[in-house]
Amino acid sequence: MINAAQKAGNWRRVLGTLTLAVLLEQLPWASGVLAWLPDFVLVGVLFWVLHQPAKVGFGVAFMLGLLADFQNGAVFGQHAIAYVIGVYLVLFLRLRLLQFDPFRQAAQLFPVLLGVQLIVLLVGWLAVNPPVGLGILMPVLGSTVLWYLIALFVRLLHGKGLPGHA
Amino acid sequence: MAAPDQLMFARRLGPAGRLFIWLLIGVACVVADARYHALEGLRSGFSVLTQPMRVAMRAPSDVASELGGFFVRHRQLQQERDALLAERAQQSVSVNLARELARENAELRVLLQLQTRPGLQAVRAAMLYKGYDWFAQRITLDQGAGSGLRGGLPVLDARGLMGQVSRVYPGSSEVTLVSSPQQLTPVFVERTGQRGLAAGSGQGRLELRYMPAQTDIRPGDRLLTSGIDRVYPAGLPVASVTRVSRSQSSPYLRVECLPLAGLEHSRAVLVLIAEPQMMQPPTTRPPVNAPEGGKS
Repeated sequence: MINAAQKAGNWRRVLGTLTLAVLLEQLPWASGVLAWLPDFVLVGVLFWVLHQPAKVGFGVAFMLGLLADFQNGAVFGQHAIAYVIGVYLVLFLRLRLLQFDPFRQAAQLFPVLLGVQLIVLLVGWLAVNPPVGLGILMPVLGSTVLWYLIALFVRLLHGKGLPGHA
Repeated sequence: MAAPDQLMFARRLGPAGRLFIWLLIGVACVVADARYHALEGLRSGFSVLTQPMRVAMRAPSDVASELGGFFVRHRQLQQERDALLAERAQQSVSVNLARELARENAELRVLLQLQTRPGLQAVRAAMLYKGYDWFAQRITLDQGAGSGLRGGLPVLDARGLMGQVSRVYPGSSEVTLVSSPQQLTPVFVERTGQRGLAAGSGQGRLELRYMPAQTDIRPGDRLLTSGIDRVYPAGLPVASVTRVSRSQSSPYLRVECLPLAGLEHSRAVLVLIAEPQMMQPPTTRPPVNAPEGGKS
C-alpha cells in the first residue's frame, strides 16, 4: 500500500497542518458560519491517522481533543473521547479508505465524523446538560466537505493518485 | 488474545486495547472536571497558551474593522451625534429624578437604620467571541483575573443583564448567558412586584418558572433582578414577557420571555465588581438563606 501522501508526509508537514488547524479554530468566525464550520482539528487528525498512523495516533488525538474542549468551554474529555473513537474508526477502516477516490473517501468518512459528533453530544449530555437542539450535528457536513477538498487537493498535488486506479 | 504462556505486553497493544486505555483516561477527565472541578489548572494553562494565538488571529480582522470605522461617512456620524444628544437630554431628566430619589432613599434608609448599598464598581470589557458549546451558551470577554474579575459577578450591557462570569482566566473570562439552560436568575415583575425565577431555556430565550395560574402577568411585562440572591444587584432589567399560556397538566403558567440584553451581538459589556450586600431585616432574627441564583 504505497500512497503519495505517505511518502511526502514528514514531521514538519504533520505539525504544520495541525498547527494551522488549531489556528483556524481561533479565528473570530461569524456566528452564521460557526454553525457549519468544519472541525479543522478533527479533520487534520483523522487525515494524518489515515496517512501516517505511525506518527499521529491516539495520544495526539486525545491532547488535541482536550484543547478543543478548552476552546469550546466544554467539560474536559468530551471532545477527547470523541476524537479517540474517531481515530479508532479510521484505523479500523484504514485499508478500505485508502482504496477510494476522494469523493468516495469523503462519503465513507461522513458516518465516522457523524459518529464522533454524536459521541460529543452523548458525553456532554451525560456529564452536563441535555443539549439544545441538534444544531451540533451541522459541522459534520462542513467537515465532510473539507475532507473531500483535502483529499482532492492531495490527489491533484501528487498527480497520479492510487496505483491501479490511475 | 494472549495465551497463558505468552508475554502479554511483549508486543504493542492493538488499536482496540489502546482505544480502551484512552477511553478510560477520557472518562477520568470528564469525571474529574464535571464532578470535582479538578482540572481548572489545565484550563488556565490552555488559556495562557492560546491567548497569543487568538490575538494574532484576530489582528487582521481588528485592523480591517479599524480601517472600516475610519471611512464611516461624516453624515452618519453627525446623525448619530444628534440622536445621542437628544437621548442625553431625555436621560438627564430621569437622572435628576433618580438623584432626587436616591437622596430621598438614603435619608429614609438612615431613618430606618438600614445598611446602605455599596457603590458598584464596574469594569468595562469587550466580547472576544461566542463559544460554540451546545450545552451552555457562553461568551468570552477580554478581561480576566488581572482586572479583578472573579466567578459569579454579574455582566450587563446597555440594555440589560447578560449573564454571570463563570470561569476566569488570567487575561480573559467566560460568561454564562442568562439564556443558557439551567442558568437561574431571581427576578420580579416590574408592574406587579411579583417575585419569580427566570430560567434559561436555550436558543436565546428564558422562561419564568413556578408562576401560579392566577398570577397577574401579561406579554410586555418587564422582569428585573430582585436582588434577593446576593449575586445580582436589584433592579437590573433582564427580560420582557413575550407569551403567557396555561397548560392543562400543570398548576403553573408557562411564561416565555425574551432577554433584553443583546446576548448575541453586544460587543461592549460591563462587569459589576462590588458584591451587593444582603440587606438585614430590622428584627434580630438571623437572616434567612436566600435561594442561590444561578450556578457560579
